[in-house]
Amino acid sequence: MSFCLKFVMPSDPRYLCVVRGAIGPLAAMMGWDESDCRAITLAVGEAVANIIRHAYHDSAGGSIELECRENADGLEFILLDKGDAVDRTKICARALGCDQPGGLGTHIIKDVMDTVSYEATAGGNRFIATKRLRKAI
Amino acid sequence: MRISIRDAGDAKVVEVDGDVDLGSSPDLRRTLFDALLHASKLAVNLAAIRYIDSSGIATLIEVLKDSQRRNKKFVLFGLSPAVQQVFHLTHVVRIFQIFQTEDEALGSV
Repeated sequence: MSFCLKFVMPSDPRYLCVVRGAIGPLAAMMGWDESDCRAITLAVGEAVANIIRHAYHDSAGGSIELECRENADGLEFILLDKGDAVDRTKICARALGCDQPGGLGTHIIKDVMDTVSYEATAGGNRFIATKRLRKAI
Repeated sequence: MRISIRDAGDAKVVEVDGDVDLGSSPDLRRTLFDALLHASKLAVNLAAIRYIDSSGIATLIEVLKDSQRRNKKFVLFGLSPAVQQVFHLTHVVRIFQIFQTEDEALGSV
């Protein structure tokens, strides 16, 4: 039986620390080192924060579902929300290294995760990211 | 997140402890902008930060830009491993003046 962790939470940034408190230990238990655990936790936190900011416009009244699934290669993170659709023109739109604030979260997610997708479905927005665990040969 | 501020000559040293995320970065932003009004130089100690996300990085960039507009100094020191990792991921290392120690940060021109 594979592991699956599911959060259903309001779009309130106070819950971000709860998510982080679970993702880091989960990644460590799967075998990632401390640096990777921090990066994975950061990337998932950025994805949730993006929903709060951009799908729900900082309103705490929305709902967010986060599933973390263990698979043969590593972990899969699925986020669902019913807020505004993702504006694809803003994904990694700002160049890295520029001295303007904002737009860095999607770069972090893309850099840390192995695959990332953003989908609009009838039930809302779905974000899926995977992180492979590279086993020592 | 906990923030404390102390005077060091014409400068102010800001200590930030804990997690800086979407929920806490507005407090950090308010504190740094206010402190910048009352000092010629602001040195921020990031050694005790366990977590910082892109909203925290954006806050630091905003304060840096404001310091430049006001012809004041804004420097960072003591970056924790978590901060170093996010700075690396976001390529912002070259944007800031970063020092190892408080003495180096306060002594910088």
